[in-house]
Amino acid sequence: MFVSVAHFGHMCTIHFNGSPITARQGETVAACLLRAGVTAFRRTPVSGTPRMPYCMIGHCFDCLVEIDGQGSRQACLVHVEDGMSIWPQDGAAAIPGEH
Amino acid sequence: MQLPLSASLPTDADVIIVGAGPAGMSASIALAQAGRKVIVLDMQALPGGQIFRGLEANLAAGCETLELMNALGPTYAAGEAVIRAFRETPGIDFRPRHTIWEVRRDGTIGWLQGNRAGYLRADHVVLANGAMERPVPFPGWTLPGVMTAGAAQTLLKAGRMKPDGRVVLAGTGPLILLLAEQLRRLGVRPVLLARTDHLRDQLAALPRLRFAALGPVAKGLGWLARLRLARIPVRSGVTGIEALGQELVEGVRVWQGDRVRHVACDLLIVHDGIVPSIDLAQGAGLRIGWNDALQAWQPATTEDGSAVLEDGASLTGGPCRILISGDARCIGGADAAIAHGRHVAAVLLDAKGSGPQTLAKVRQSLVPRLFLEAAFPPGLSADLPTGSTTVCRCEDIPATALQELLRAGATDINHVRGLTRCGMGPCQGRNCAITLARMIAAESGAKPVPFRARPPVRPLPLQALAALAGVDPRLAEVVSLEDKPQVAVAVRSTDV
Repeated sequence: MFVSVAHFGHMCTIHFNGSPITARQGETVAACLLRAGVTAFRRTPVSGTPRMPYCMIGHCFDCLVEIDGQGSRQACLVHVEDGMSIWPQDGAAAIPGEH
Repeated sequence: MQLPLSASLPTDADVIIVGAGPAGMSASIALAQAGRKVIVLDMQALPGGQIFRGLEANLAAGCETLELMNALGPTYAAGEAVIRAFRETPGIDFRPRHTIWEVRRDGTIGWLQGNRAGYLRADHVVLANGAMERPVPFPGWTLPGVMTAGAAQTLLKAGRMKPDGRVVLAGTGPLILLLAEQLRRLGVRPVLLARTDHLRDQLAALPRLRFAALGPVAKGLGWLARLRLARIPVRSGVTGIEALGQELVEGVRVWQGDRVRHVACDLLIVHDGIVPSIDLAQGAGLRIGWNDALQAWQPATTEDGSAVLEDGASLTGGPCRILISGDARCIGGADAAIAHGRHVAAVLLDAKGSGPQTLAKVRQSLVPRLFLEAAFPPGLSADLPTGSTTVCRCEDIPATALQELLRAGATDINHVRGLTRCGMGPCQGRNCAITLARMIAAESGAKPVPFRARPPVRPLPLQALAALAGVDPRLAEVVSLEDKPQVAVAVRSTDV
Protein backbone atom coordinates (compact mmCIF):
# COMPACT_ATOMS: atom_id res chain seq x y z
CA MET A 1 0.00 0.00 0.00
CA PHE A 2 3.00 2.32 0.66
CA VAL A 3 6.57 2.53 -0.60
CA SER A 4 9.55 4.52 0.65
CA VAL A 5 10.30 7.87 -0.93
CA ALA A 6 13.64 8.55 0.75
CA HIS A 7 16.59 6.29 1.43
CA PHE A 8 16.81 4.78 4.89
CA GLY A 9 19.21 6.37 7.34
CA HIS A 10 19.83 4.54 10.60
CA MET A 11 17.97 1.28 10.74
CA CYS A 12 16.77 -1.01 13.48
CA THR A 13 14.62 -4.12 13.74
CA ILE A 14 11.21 -4.51 15.30
CA HIS A 15 9.03 -7.61 15.41
CA PHE A 16 5.39 -7.85 14.40
CA ASN A 17 3.53 -11.09 15.04
CA GLY A 18 6.96 -12.58 15.75
CA SER A 19 8.42 -11.67 12.34
CA PRO A 20 11.27 -9.16 11.99
CA ILE A 21 10.66 -5.87 10.15
CA THR A 22 13.32 -3.34 9.23
CA ALA A 23 12.50 0.09 10.67
CA ARG A 24 13.98 3.54 10.29
CA GLN A 25 15.14 5.16 13.52
CA GLY A 26 12.84 8.05 14.39
CA GLU A 27 9.72 6.76 12.65
CA THR A 28 6.51 5.74 14.37
CA VAL A 29 5.44 2.14 14.81
CA ALA A 30 2.38 2.84 12.63
CA ALA A 31 4.44 4.19 9.72
CA CYS A 32 6.80 1.23 9.91
CA LEU A 33 3.98 -1.35 9.93
CA LEU A 34 2.19 0.34 7.02
CA ARG A 35 5.37 0.27 4.93
CA ALA A 36 5.68 -3.42 5.78
CA GLY A 37 2.18 -3.97 4.38
CA VAL A 38 0.32 -4.58 7.65
CA THR A 39 -3.36 -3.72 7.18
CA ALA A 40 -5.02 -5.18 10.31
CA PHE A 41 -3.49 -3.42 13.32
CA ARG A 42 -6.34 -4.51 15.55
CA ARG A 43 -9.77 -6.12 15.56
CA THR A 44 -12.52 -4.32 17.41
CA PRO A 45 -13.79 -5.83 20.68
CA VAL A 46 -17.42 -5.55 19.49
CA SER A 47 -17.55 -6.94 15.94
CA GLY A 48 -14.04 -8.27 15.41
CA THR A 49 -13.64 -6.27 12.21
CA PRO A 50 -10.08 -5.30 11.23
CA ARG A 51 -8.82 -1.72 11.53
CA MET A 52 -5.90 0.20 10.12
CA PRO A 53 -4.69 3.70 11.10
CA TYR A 54 -7.23 6.28 9.93
CA CYS A 55 -5.92 9.66 11.18
CA MET A 56 -2.22 9.07 12.04
CA ILE A 57 -2.26 11.97 14.54
CA GLY A 58 -3.52 10.37 17.73
CA HIS A 59 -7.25 11.04 17.44
CA CYS A 60 -8.87 7.89 16.03
CA PHE A 61 -7.32 5.13 18.19
CA ASP A 62 -7.73 2.64 15.35
CA CYS A 63 -3.97 1.93 15.37
CA LEU A 64 -4.04 0.31 18.82
CA VAL A 65 -1.51 -2.52 19.14
CA GLU A 66 0.25 -4.41 21.90
CA ILE A 67 3.84 -3.21 22.36
CA ASP A 68 6.26 -5.11 24.60
CA GLY A 69 3.40 -6.71 26.50
CA GLN A 70 1.37 -3.54 27.01
CA GLY A 71 -1.95 -3.30 25.20
CA SER A 72 -3.83 -0.32 23.74
CA ARG A 73 -0.71 1.57 22.65
CA GLN A 74 -1.28 4.11 19.87
CA ALA A 75 1.07 2.94 17.11
CA CYS A 76 0.98 6.40 15.48
CA LEU A 77 2.42 8.04 18.61
CA VAL A 78 5.02 5.46 19.68
CA HIS A 79 8.44 5.55 18.02
CA VAL A 80 10.25 2.38 16.99
CA GLU A 81 13.00 1.02 19.20
CA ASP A 82 15.36 -1.77 18.30
CA GLY A 83 13.99 -5.14 19.40
CA MET A 84 10.46 -3.90 20.04
CA SER A 85 7.89 -6.70 20.04
CA ILE A 86 4.52 -5.75 18.57
CA TRP A 87 1.35 -7.81 18.29
CA PRO A 88 -1.98 -6.90 16.74
CA GLN A 89 -4.64 -6.21 19.32
CA ASP A 90 -7.48 -8.66 18.84
CA GLY A 91 -10.46 -7.38 20.78
CA ALA A 92 -9.97 -5.69 24.13
CA ALA A 93 -6.43 -5.21 25.45
CA ALA A 94 -5.12 -8.02 27.62
CA ILE A 95 -4.08 -6.96 31.09
CA PRO A 96 -0.72 -8.44 32.16
CA GLY A 97 -1.21 -11.19 34.77
CA GLU A 98 -4.90 -11.43 33.96
CA HIS A 99 -4.73 -14.98 32.58
CA MET B 1 -16.37 28.90 44.04
CA GLN B 2 -12.77 29.25 45.19
CA LEU B 3 -10.11 26.62 45.66
CA PRO B 4 -8.85 28.01 49.00
CA LEU B 5 -5.13 27.23 48.73
CA SER B 6 -4.88 27.67 45.00
CA ALA B 7 -3.08 31.00 45.10
CA SER B 8 -0.24 29.70 47.25
CA LEU B 9 0.50 26.62 45.16
CA PRO B 10 4.00 26.58 43.68
CA THR B 11 4.34 26.89 39.91
CA ASP B 12 6.72 25.11 37.52
CA ALA B 13 6.78 27.89 34.92
CA ASP B 14 5.27 31.24 34.05
CA VAL B 15 3.46 29.74 31.08
CA ILE B 16 2.79 26.16 29.97
CA ILE B 17 2.07 25.75 26.28
CA VAL B 18 0.37 22.63 24.95
CA GLY B 19 1.45 21.96 21.37
CA ALA B 20 4.66 22.82 19.52
CA GLY B 21 3.02 23.71 16.22
CA PRO B 22 3.13 27.17 14.62
CA ALA B 23 1.02 28.82 17.36
CA GLY B 24 2.74 27.17 20.32
CA MET B 25 6.24 27.74 18.94
CA SER B 26 5.57 31.41 18.12
CA ALA B 27 4.04 32.14 21.53
CA SER B 28 6.88 30.40 23.37
CA ILE B 29 9.59 32.21 21.37
CA ALA B 30 8.14 35.64 22.16
CA LEU B 31 7.57 34.79 25.82
CA ALA B 32 11.04 33.32 26.33
CA GLN B 33 12.67 36.29 24.57
CA ALA B 34 11.01 38.51 27.17
CA GLY B 35 12.53 36.39 29.93
CA ARG B 36 9.52 34.29 30.85
CA LYS B 37 9.96 30.68 31.89
CA VAL B 38 8.05 28.55 29.40
CA ILE B 39 7.36 24.81 29.30
CA VAL B 40 6.17 23.48 25.94
CA LEU B 41 4.59 20.01 25.79
CA ASP B 42 3.94 18.11 22.56
CA MET B 43 2.82 14.59 21.65
CA GLN B 44 5.44 14.28 18.93
CA ALA B 45 9.19 13.83 19.14
CA LEU B 46 10.00 16.96 17.14
CA PRO B 47 8.56 20.49 17.12
CA GLY B 48 6.54 21.65 14.10
CA GLY B 49 3.00 20.44 14.67
CA GLN B 50 1.19 18.58 11.91
CA ILE B 51 1.82 21.23 9.26
CA PHE B 52 5.61 21.13 9.72
CA ARG B 53 5.65 17.49 10.84
CA GLY B 54 9.07 15.87 10.51
CA LEU B 55 10.51 18.99 8.84
CA GLU B 56 13.50 19.26 11.16
CA ALA B 57 14.53 15.64 10.51
CA ASN B 58 13.87 15.91 6.76
CA LEU B 59 16.10 18.99 6.52
CA ALA B 60 18.82 17.30 8.56
CA ALA B 61 18.70 14.26 6.24
CA GLY B 62 20.04 16.43 3.40
CA CYS B 63 20.08 14.84 -0.05
CA GLU B 64 18.34 11.70 1.27
CA THR B 65 15.07 13.61 1.41
CA LEU B 66 15.57 15.95 -1.53
CA GLU B 67 12.82 14.40 -3.68
CA LEU B 68 10.44 14.41 -0.72
CA MET B 69 11.18 18.04 0.19
CA ASN B 70 10.65 19.10 -3.44
CA ALA B 71 7.30 17.32 -3.51
CA LEU B 72 6.15 18.80 -0.20
CA GLY B 73 6.89 22.26 -1.54
CA PRO B 74 7.91 25.71 -0.28
CA THR B 75 5.05 26.16 2.23
CA TYR B 76 6.34 23.14 4.15
CA ALA B 77 9.99 24.19 3.95
CA ALA B 78 9.03 27.67 5.19
CA GLY B 79 8.55 26.21 8.67
CA GLU B 80 12.32 26.03 9.07
CA ALA B 81 12.56 29.64 10.34
CA VAL B 82 10.11 29.26 13.21
CA ILE B 83 11.46 25.81 14.20
CA ARG B 84 15.03 27.15 14.24
CA ALA B 85 14.02 30.15 16.39
CA PHE B 86 12.17 27.76 18.72
CA ARG B 87 15.27 25.60 19.13
CA GLU B 88 17.66 28.52 19.52
CA THR B 89 15.73 30.73 21.95
CA PRO B 90 17.02 30.16 25.49
CA GLY B 91 14.47 29.65 28.22
CA ILE B 92 12.11 27.31 26.38
CA ASP B 93 11.80 24.00 28.20
CA PHE B 94 10.58 21.72 25.37
CA ARG B 95 9.21 18.38 26.49
CA PRO B 96 8.43 16.14 23.51
CA ARG B 97 6.40 12.88 23.48
CA HIS B 98 4.05 14.17 26.17
CA THR B 99 0.33 13.56 25.88
CA ILE B 100 -1.99 15.68 27.99
CA TRP B 101 -4.80 13.94 29.85
CA GLU B 102 -6.01 16.78 32.03
CA VAL B 103 -6.17 20.56 31.91
CA ARG B 104 -7.56 22.52 34.85
CA ARG B 105 -8.80 26.07 34.87
CA ASP B 106 -6.29 26.93 37.63
CA GLY B 107 -3.30 26.33 35.31
CA THR B 108 -2.65 22.69 36.20
CA ILE B 109 -1.75 20.20 33.46
CA GLY B 110 -1.70 16.41 33.70
CA TRP B 111 0.93 14.87 31.41
CA LEU B 112 1.97 11.39 30.34
CA GLN B 113 5.24 10.33 28.76
CA GLY B 114 5.65 6.61 28.18
CA ASN B 115 4.58 5.16 31.51
CA ARG B 116 5.43 8.22 33.57
CA ALA B 117 2.80 10.79 34.44
CA GLY B 118 2.53 13.88 36.55
CA TYR B 119 1.17 17.36 37.06
CA LEU B 120 2.69 20.70 36.13
CA ARG B 121 1.38 24.10 37.03
CA ALA B 122 1.85 27.62 35.70
CA ASP B 123 0.29 31.06 36.00
CA HIS B 124 -1.07 30.66 32.49
CA VAL B 125 -1.76 27.78 30.14
CA VAL B 126 -1.93 28.24 26.37
CA LEU B 127 -3.74 25.46 24.52
CA ALA B 128 -2.24 25.33 21.04
CA ASN B 129 -3.23 21.75 20.31
CA GLY B 130 -4.32 22.41 16.75
CA ALA B 131 -6.98 20.87 14.59
CA MET B 132 -8.25 17.52 13.42
CA GLU B 133 -9.95 16.41 10.26
CA ARG B 134 -13.72 16.51 10.30
CA PRO B 135 -15.00 12.95 10.85
CA VAL B 136 -16.82 11.67 7.74
CA PRO B 137 -19.08 8.71 8.43
CA PHE B 138 -19.93 7.03 5.10
CA PRO B 139 -20.60 3.37 4.35
CA GLY B 140 -17.34 1.45 4.65
CA TRP B 141 -15.26 4.21 6.29
CA THR B 142 -13.91 1.81 8.90
CA LEU B 143 -12.36 -0.54 6.30
CA PRO B 144 -8.57 -0.87 6.32
CA GLY B 145 -7.33 1.11 3.33
CA VAL B 146 -9.53 4.11 4.06
CA MET B 147 -7.60 6.97 5.63
CA THR B 148 -7.69 10.74 5.83
CA ALA B 149 -5.69 13.15 3.67
CA GLY B 150 -3.92 14.29 6.82
CA ALA B 151 -2.88 10.70 7.55
CA ALA B 152 -1.46 10.32 4.04
CA GLN B 153 0.42 13.61 4.47
CA THR B 154 1.78 12.52 7.85
CA LEU B 155 3.05 9.34 6.20
CA LEU B 156 4.75 11.47 3.56
CA LYS B 157 6.29 13.98 5.97
CA ALA B 158 7.23 11.78 8.91
CA GLY B 159 7.11 8.28 7.40
CA ARG B 160 8.85 9.26 4.14
CA MET B 161 6.56 6.97 2.18
CA LYS B 162 4.05 7.42 -0.63
CA PRO B 163 0.96 5.45 -1.58
CA ASP B 164 1.48 2.55 -3.95
CA GLY B 165 -1.19 1.11 -6.24
CA ARG B 166 -4.55 2.61 -7.19
CA VAL B 167 -5.35 5.68 -5.10
CA VAL B 168 -8.71 7.48 -4.99
CA LEU B 169 -9.00 10.87 -3.30
CA ALA B 170 -12.46 12.01 -2.23
CA GLY B 171 -13.77 15.08 -0.47
CA THR B 172 -13.16 18.80 -0.53
CA GLY B 173 -10.90 21.60 0.68
CA PRO B 174 -7.45 22.98 -0.04
CA LEU B 175 -5.67 20.10 1.72
CA ILE B 176 -6.93 17.38 -0.61
CA LEU B 177 -5.95 19.43 -3.68
CA LEU B 178 -2.50 20.04 -2.19
CA LEU B 179 -2.10 16.33 -1.40
CA ALA B 180 -3.09 15.39 -4.97
CA GLU B 181 -0.45 17.77 -6.31
CA GLN B 182 2.20 16.48 -3.88
CA LEU B 183 1.45 12.90 -4.94
CA ARG B 184 1.67 13.91 -8.60
CA ARG B 185 5.11 15.40 -7.96
CA LEU B 186 6.16 12.04 -6.49
CA GLY B 187 4.93 10.17 -9.57
CA VAL B 188 1.75 8.84 -7.96
CA ARG B 189 -1.20 9.20 -10.32
CA PRO B 190 -4.50 9.01 -8.41
CA VAL B 191 -7.10 7.12 -10.47
CA LEU B 192 -9.73 9.65 -9.36
CA LEU B 193 -10.04 12.92 -7.45
CA ALA B 194 -13.72 13.01 -6.47
CA ARG B 195 -14.61 16.52 -5.29
CA THR B 196 -17.80 17.17 -3.34
CA ASP B 197 -17.62 20.89 -4.06
CA HIS B 198 -18.95 22.56 -7.22
CA LEU B 199 -17.70 25.45 -9.28
CA ARG B 200 -20.87 27.21 -8.10
CA ASP B 201 -19.56 27.08 -4.48
CA GLN B 202 -16.42 28.91 -5.54
CA LEU B 203 -18.43 31.43 -7.59
CA ALA B 204 -20.78 32.07 -4.68
CA ALA B 205 -17.76 32.64 -2.43
CA LEU B 206 -16.25 35.28 -4.73
CA PRO B 207 -17.76 38.25 -2.84
CA ARG B 208 -15.71 37.10 0.18
CA LEU B 209 -12.51 37.10 -1.81
CA ARG B 210 -10.09 39.72 -0.51
CA PHE B 211 -6.65 40.74 -1.66
CA ALA B 212 -5.01 38.67 1.10
CA ALA B 213 -6.65 35.52 -0.31
CA LEU B 214 -5.37 35.95 -3.86
CA GLY B 215 -2.07 34.21 -3.13
CA PRO B 216 -3.65 31.00 -1.76
CA VAL B 217 -6.27 31.00 -4.54
CA ALA B 218 -3.63 31.35 -7.28
CA LYS B 219 -1.68 28.51 -5.70
CA GLY B 220 -4.77 26.28 -5.67
CA LEU B 221 -5.57 27.06 -9.30
CA GLY B 222 -1.98 26.17 -10.19
CA TRP B 223 -2.31 22.75 -8.52
CA LEU B 224 -5.54 22.08 -10.40
CA ALA B 225 -4.00 23.10 -13.71
CA ARG B 226 -1.06 20.74 -13.19
CA LEU B 227 -3.39 17.87 -12.22
CA ARG B 228 -5.33 18.50 -15.43
CA LEU B 229 -2.12 18.59 -17.49
CA ALA B 230 -1.14 15.26 -15.93
CA ARG B 231 -4.56 13.93 -17.01
CA ILE B 232 -5.56 12.95 -13.48
CA PRO B 233 -9.33 12.52 -13.58
CA VAL B 234 -11.09 15.13 -11.45
CA ARG B 235 -14.88 15.08 -10.91
CA SER B 236 -16.75 17.74 -8.98
CA GLY B 237 -20.22 17.75 -7.52
CA VAL B 238 -19.82 14.30 -5.98
CA THR B 239 -22.79 13.70 -3.66
CA GLY B 240 -21.72 10.56 -1.82
CA ILE B 241 -19.25 7.68 -1.61
CA GLU B 242 -19.19 4.10 -0.33
CA ALA B 243 -16.04 2.09 0.37
CA LEU B 244 -16.29 -1.51 -0.79
CA GLY B 245 -14.44 -4.59 0.46
CA GLN B 246 -14.42 -7.18 3.23
CA GLU B 247 -11.12 -7.09 5.12
CA LEU B 248 -9.58 -4.38 2.94
CA VAL B 249 -10.84 -1.66 0.65
CA GLU B 250 -11.21 -2.96 -2.92
CA GLY B 251 -13.11 -0.14 -4.53
CA VAL B 252 -15.33 2.83 -4.10
CA ARG B 253 -18.78 3.74 -5.34
CA VAL B 254 -19.07 7.39 -6.23
CA TRP B 255 -22.42 9.15 -6.64
CA GLN B 256 -22.98 12.31 -8.63
CA GLY B 257 -26.68 12.76 -8.05
CA ASP B 258 -28.35 9.71 -9.62
CA ARG B 259 -25.27 8.67 -11.49
CA VAL B 260 -23.14 5.96 -9.84
CA ARG B 261 -19.61 5.09 -10.80
CA HIS B 262 -17.56 2.16 -9.49
CA VAL B 263 -13.80 2.62 -9.21
CA ALA B 264 -11.43 -0.12 -8.09
CA CYS B 265 -8.77 1.07 -5.63
CA ASP B 266 -6.23 -0.04 -3.04
CA LEU B 267 -6.31 3.14 -0.97
CA LEU B 268 -9.16 5.59 -0.43
CA ILE B 269 -8.06 8.95 0.95
CA VAL B 270 -10.85 11.18 2.29
CA HIS B 271 -10.98 14.77 3.48
CA ASP B 272 -13.80 17.11 4.48
CA GLY B 273 -11.95 20.08 5.91
CA ILE B 274 -10.40 20.57 9.32
CA VAL B 275 -12.01 21.57 12.60
CA PRO B 276 -10.56 22.72 15.95
CA SER B 277 -9.50 20.01 18.39
CA ILE B 278 -11.75 20.70 21.33
CA ASP B 279 -10.82 17.71 23.51
CA LEU B 280 -8.60 19.60 25.98
CA ALA B 281 -10.82 22.68 26.16
CA GLN B 282 -13.83 20.47 26.70
CA GLY B 283 -12.09 18.43 29.41
CA ALA B 284 -11.14 21.67 31.18
CA GLY B 285 -14.78 22.70 31.42
CA LEU B 286 -14.44 25.56 28.96
CA ARG B 287 -17.33 26.86 26.92
CA ILE B 288 -17.64 25.36 23.45
CA GLY B 289 -19.91 26.91 20.83
CA TRP B 290 -21.27 25.67 17.51
CA ASN B 291 -20.02 27.57 14.48
CA ASP B 292 -22.66 27.35 11.74
CA ALA B 293 -20.35 28.50 8.94
CA LEU B 294 -17.72 25.91 9.88
CA GLN B 295 -20.32 23.26 10.81
CA ALA B 296 -18.20 22.40 13.82
CA TRP B 297 -17.52 23.28 17.44
CA GLN B 298 -15.11 25.96 18.44
CA PRO B 299 -14.07 27.05 21.95
CA ALA B 300 -15.50 30.39 23.04
CA THR B 301 -12.58 32.82 23.31
CA THR B 302 -11.86 36.52 23.06
CA GLU B 303 -9.75 37.67 20.13
CA ASP B 304 -6.83 37.56 22.57
CA GLY B 305 -7.45 33.86 23.09
CA SER B 306 -8.80 34.01 26.66
CA ALA B 307 -11.09 31.06 27.22
CA VAL B 308 -14.44 31.24 28.97
CA LEU B 309 -15.65 28.84 31.63
CA GLU B 310 -18.84 26.94 30.92
CA ASP B 311 -21.74 27.85 33.20
CA GLY B 312 -22.67 25.55 36.01
CA ALA B 313 -20.73 23.43 38.44
CA SER B 314 -17.19 22.40 37.59
CA LEU B 315 -14.74 19.90 39.01
CA THR B 316 -12.31 22.59 40.12
CA GLY B 317 -12.62 26.22 41.20
CA GLY B 318 -10.84 29.52 40.86
CA PRO B 319 -10.36 31.94 37.99
CA CYS B 320 -9.65 30.65 34.49
CA ARG B 321 -5.96 30.81 33.55
CA ILE B 322 -6.37 29.20 30.12
CA LEU B 323 -5.86 30.78 26.71
CA ILE B 324 -6.37 29.08 23.34
CA SER B 325 -4.34 29.85 20.23
CA GLY B 326 -3.91 28.77 16.61
CA ASP B 327 -6.19 26.30 14.84
CA ALA B 328 -7.44 25.01 18.21
CA ARG B 329 -9.12 28.43 18.61
CA CYS B 330 -10.04 29.25 15.04
CA ILE B 331 -9.11 27.45 11.81
CA GLY B 332 -6.77 29.68 9.84
CA GLY B 333 -3.69 27.66 8.90
CA ALA B 334 -0.02 28.10 9.77
CA ASP B 335 0.36 31.84 9.08
CA ALA B 336 -2.70 32.68 11.14
CA ALA B 337 -1.47 30.40 13.93
CA ILE B 338 1.92 32.12 13.99
CA ALA B 339 0.23 35.54 14.10
CA HIS B 340 -2.06 34.50 16.93
CA GLY B 341 0.71 32.79 18.92
CA ARG B 342 2.66 36.05 18.82
CA HIS B 343 -0.40 38.00 19.84
CA VAL B 344 -1.11 35.75 22.82
CA ALA B 345 2.47 36.26 23.96
CA ALA B 346 2.11 40.07 23.59
CA VAL B 347 -1.08 39.98 25.63
CA LEU B 348 0.50 37.87 28.37
CA LEU B 349 3.51 40.19 28.44
CA ASP B 350 1.21 43.18 28.45
CA ALA B 351 3.67 44.83 26.11
CA LYS B 352 2.55 48.39 25.55
CA GLY B 353 1.77 49.15 21.93
CA SER B 354 2.56 45.63 20.81
CA GLY B 355 -0.96 44.27 21.45
CA PRO B 356 -2.81 46.33 18.83
CA GLN B 357 -0.04 45.65 16.31
CA THR B 358 -0.11 41.90 16.76
CA LEU B 359 -3.91 41.91 16.79
CA ALA B 360 -4.02 43.66 13.40
CA LYS B 361 -1.86 40.85 12.01
CA VAL B 362 -4.17 38.22 13.50
CA ARG B 363 -7.17 39.82 11.77
CA GLN B 364 -5.39 40.07 8.46
CA SER B 365 -4.18 36.47 8.64
CA LEU B 366 -7.73 35.17 8.99
CA VAL B 367 -9.06 37.00 5.90
CA PRO B 368 -8.33 34.24 3.31
CA ARG B 369 -10.30 31.82 5.47
CA LEU B 370 -13.55 33.69 4.79
CA PHE B 371 -13.33 32.74 1.13
CA LEU B 372 -12.00 29.21 1.63
CA GLU B 373 -14.74 28.31 4.11
CA ALA B 374 -17.46 29.29 1.63
CA ALA B 375 -15.67 27.89 -1.44
CA PHE B 376 -15.23 24.41 0.06
CA PRO B 377 -18.31 23.63 2.19
CA PRO B 378 -18.48 20.28 4.04
CA GLY B 379 -19.47 17.58 1.57
CA LEU B 380 -18.84 14.00 2.70
CA SER B 381 -20.37 14.81 6.08
CA ALA B 382 -23.20 17.00 4.74
CA ASP B 383 -25.83 14.25 4.93
CA LEU B 384 -26.13 12.49 8.28
CA PRO B 385 -25.37 8.75 8.20
CA THR B 386 -28.22 6.25 8.10
CA GLY B 387 -28.76 2.51 8.35
CA SER B 388 -25.76 0.32 9.06
CA THR B 389 -23.17 3.10 8.54
CA THR B 390 -20.89 3.19 11.57
CA VAL B 391 -21.10 6.35 13.67
CA CYS B 392 -18.90 5.32 16.62
CA ARG B 393 -15.80 3.57 15.28
CA CYS B 394 -14.58 2.41 18.70
CA GLU B 395 -17.79 0.72 19.81
CA ASP B 396 -19.01 -0.29 16.32
CA ILE B 397 -22.32 1.55 16.70
CA PRO B 398 -24.41 1.94 13.53
CA ALA B 399 -26.54 4.99 12.82
CA THR B 400 -29.72 2.93 13.06
CA ALA B 401 -29.13 2.04 16.75
CA LEU B 402 -28.81 5.71 17.60
CA GLN B 403 -31.79 6.77 15.48
CA GLU B 404 -33.91 4.26 17.36
CA LEU B 405 -33.05 5.94 20.67
CA LEU B 406 -33.68 9.40 19.26
CA ARG B 407 -37.09 8.30 18.00
CA ALA B 408 -37.79 6.95 21.49
CA GLY B 409 -37.29 10.47 22.85
CA ALA B 410 -33.64 10.76 23.87
CA THR B 411 -32.45 14.36 23.54
CA ASP B 412 -29.37 14.52 25.80
CA ILE B 413 -26.09 13.46 24.19
CA ASN B 414 -24.65 12.31 27.53
CA HIS B 415 -27.71 10.17 28.10
CA VAL B 416 -27.32 8.51 24.69
CA ARG B 417 -23.66 7.88 25.49
CA GLY B 418 -24.58 6.21 28.76
CA LEU B 419 -27.18 3.99 27.12
CA THR B 420 -25.28 2.95 23.99
CA ARG B 421 -21.56 3.47 24.81
CA CYS B 422 -21.37 5.77 21.76
CA GLY B 423 -18.35 7.94 22.61
CA MET B 424 -17.13 5.71 25.45
CA GLY B 425 -14.44 3.83 23.53
CA PRO B 426 -10.73 4.64 23.48
CA CYS B 427 -11.12 7.74 21.27
CA GLN B 428 -13.55 9.22 23.81
CA GLY B 429 -15.90 10.57 21.19
CA ARG B 430 -13.36 12.42 19.08
CA ASN B 431 -14.71 10.67 15.98
CA CYS B 432 -18.42 10.33 16.75
CA ALA B 433 -19.43 13.27 18.95
CA ILE B 434 -20.01 15.66 16.08
CA THR B 435 -22.14 13.14 14.17
CA LEU B 436 -24.25 12.08 17.14
CA ALA B 437 -24.72 15.71 18.21
CA ARG B 438 -25.86 16.67 14.71
CA MET B 439 -28.28 13.73 14.65
CA ILE B 440 -29.79 14.91 17.93
CA ALA B 441 -29.88 18.52 16.74
CA ALA B 442 -31.64 17.47 13.53
CA GLU B 443 -34.47 16.06 15.68
CA SER B 444 -34.66 18.90 18.20
CA GLY B 445 -33.82 21.91 16.04
CA ALA B 446 -31.32 23.10 18.68
CA LYS B 447 -27.58 23.60 18.11
CA PRO B 448 -25.36 20.51 18.45
CA VAL B 449 -24.01 20.11 22.00
CA PRO B 450 -20.81 18.12 22.74
CA PHE B 451 -20.38 15.36 25.32
CA ARG B 452 -19.56 16.40 28.87
CA ALA B 453 -15.89 15.43 29.21
CA ARG B 454 -14.04 14.50 32.37
CA PRO B 455 -10.36 13.84 32.91
CA PRO B 456 -8.48 11.78 31.95
CA VAL B 457 -9.29 12.83 28.38
CA ARG B 458 -6.69 10.34 27.07
CA PRO B 459 -5.90 6.84 28.32
CA LEU B 460 -3.69 6.88 31.40
CA PRO B 461 -2.01 3.57 32.37
CA LEU B 462 -2.68 2.55 35.98
CA GLN B 463 1.03 2.22 36.73
CA ALA B 464 1.55 5.83 35.60
CA LEU B 465 -1.37 7.01 37.71
CA ALA B 466 -0.08 5.09 40.73
CA ALA B 467 3.28 6.87 40.54
CA LEU B 468 2.15 10.40 39.66
CA ALA B 469 4.93 12.96 39.91
CA GLY B 470 4.57 16.59 40.92
CA VAL B 471 1.45 15.99 42.92
CA ASP B 472 0.57 18.57 45.48
CA PRO B 473 -2.12 17.07 47.72
CA ARG B 474 -4.10 20.28 47.30
CA LEU B 475 -4.26 19.62 43.57
CA ALA B 476 -6.11 16.41 44.23
CA GLU B 477 -8.97 18.35 45.77
CA VAL B 478 -12.12 18.26 43.77
CA VAL B 479 -14.48 21.04 44.74
CA SER B 480 -17.59 19.52 43.30
CA LEU B 481 -18.92 16.37 41.77
CA GLU B 482 -22.07 18.19 40.74
CA ASP B 483 -21.07 18.32 37.09
CA LYS B 484 -23.17 15.33 36.10
CA PRO B 485 -25.91 16.38 33.72
CA GLN B 486 -29.50 15.98 34.68
CA VAL B 487 -31.36 13.74 32.27
CA ALA B 488 -34.71 15.34 31.77
CA VAL B 489 -36.26 12.91 29.31
CA ALA B 490 -37.02 9.36 30.24
CA VAL B 491 -36.36 7.01 27.36
CA ARG B 492 -39.22 4.67 26.78
CA SER B 493 -37.31 2.02 24.90
CA THR B 494 -36.71 -0.99 27.14
CA ASP B 495 -34.47 -3.06 24.92
CA VAL B 496 -31.30 -1.00 25.41
